[in-house]
Amino acid sequence: MTPAATEPDDDNSVKMMDYFMQLEYREPLCPVVRRYADQLLEGRLIGHQCPSCGLVYLPPRGYCPICVVETTDADETVLSDRGTVTNYTVVTPVQYYGQHETEPFVRASVTLDGGNATMNLQDLVDVPVDEVRVGMRVAAVWKPKGERSVADISNRSWGSAEGCIDGWRPTGEPDAPAEQFLGKATF
Amino acid sequence: MDDIAIIGYAQSPSQRRAELTEPQFLFPVISEAIERANVERRDIGFTCAGSCDYLSGQTFAFVMNLEAVGAWPPISESHVEMDGAWALYEAWVRLQHGDIDVALAFGSGKSSPGDPSEIYPLQLDPYTLTPLGADPVSMAALQARAMLDKGTITEQEMAEIAVRSRTNAANNPYAQVRGSGDVDTLLREPYVTAPLRRHDLPPISDGASAVVLATADKARAVCERPVWIRGIDHRIEPHQPGMRDLTESISTRQAGRHAGIDHGPVEVAELSATFSHQEKLLREALGLGDEVQVNPSGGALAANPVMAVGLARIAEAARAISERGVSRALAHATSGQCLQQNLVCVLEGA
Ligand SMILES: [Zn+2]
Repeated sequence: MTPAATEPDDDNSVKMMDYFMQLEYREPLCPVVRRYADQLLEGRLIGHQCPSCGLVYLPPRGYCPICVVETTDADETVLSDRGTVTNYTVVTPVQYYGQHETEPFVRASVTLDGGNATMNLQDLVDVPVDEVRVGMRVAAVWKPKGERSVADISNRSWGSAEGCIDGWRPTGEPDAPAEQFLGKATF
Repeated sequence: MDDIAIIGYAQSPSQRRAELTEPQFLFPVISEAIERANVERRDIGFTCAGSCDYLSGQTFAFVMNLEAVGAWPPISESHVEMDGAWALYEAWVRLQHGDIDVALAFGSGKSSPGDPSEIYPLQLDPYTLTPLGADPVSMAALQARAMLDKGTITEQEMAEIAVRSRTNAANNPYAQVRGSGDVDTLLREPYVTAPLRRHDLPPISDGASAVVLATADKARAVCERPVWIRGIDHRIEPHQPGMRDLTESISTRQAGRHAGIDHGPVEVAELSATFSHQEKLLREALGLGDEVQVNPSGGALAANPVMAVGLARIAEAARAISERGVSRALAHATSGQCLQQNLVCVLEGA
């Protein structure tokens, strides 16, 4: 915290005062997210499957908020690293401070095979922006084992895997029917 | 005003650094409060939460906390950026409408990820106090110094309050600071910020509390020994501490009077005295004599989960009535620096 007064005017009164502040928060990963991060480093996506309704939460939260039941290691399930684009947004970057992107890019929701688990805000690789579509089949592009990092994963960033997965690449399989996904909420 | 009763309550253990996230440690607390109230989740007509995004370091952190209540079906809910005691106040007002009969209030806070001495100055005057880094311990030290100078407390009395709080906390499974050396031992410790020593300060805590309220008919139907809210009131003093006499608490006195403290004898008082000297100040503002048992739980000096600690006082006062046969108790919650805002709640067993 560094308050700094600007030069006083002729009448010696302070007209403006800069005040810079920053707050730092450090929160260790809670056990279920720690486990998720450790498994990511091994190249596995894990979730918790609610024993009551069957919905899968990725990363695990330790509970199902729909059924209000706690979930434990016993509810852990290994998820596929292949899936389907179920939604996407084309982002056209504006060059504000800190923006490193210069060309339009896509952030997609990928619903993993075998259930409801969906990873949001995912990068798609090796596909032009105007070819992205709902129903497109994709597979995770894992970073090489030694280059994976979970440093950016926090208790709050549900679904983040970008330190371990570079993005999702189209598999070339025929599309899944888009109407299966459109207009539906994902978890 | 219609009588509203407390029919269920629960707390988490207070911890210096919770391993779980805030929604995760809230989860069993809310479930336990509802279970003890002997109602179903779907019976709850209104939910109000108290928490602080600045503590969590995340905007809309309170939305995540709602997962502990249940995300489906949709509920009627509200949030106060205040201690859960104020969430209870809003739930109490909501029940006065008469169209619903059960309400849930909860409070939660995880202080461990941040640095309280950096966070709290930001709630003060941004021109004169925040740039000074006027943190809660420094502000409380100024208040204690003012009381010492005025002769309304001694350092010996402050240590006695700390010893009694820590001794009482020995039997409280939710407390964080338990057991104590004697007064002489504590007084030999160095100052943290003069005239405050370690024992005059609250611990830094993570924790949660929850209370279930019901209208009179519903309370009698589901609860063997409802705890009745006979009065509840809160008052606010100026934001700028320099405009107040820090050696007394006018807002506490007013809230106490409007909550009807003097309509009968008080047996137990659970006070949010976050610093030792504030207990004496609050006792005087509320007119509590030596016959009143103050903070049998250990109070805020033994566990201080910010945003949950005031509601925990209400839960502890209710517990004294429903589990220990006390017939009349009061609970106090506070917010802001040096007791700027105060809430008083009077509870009775019958
Ligand atoms: Zn479920």
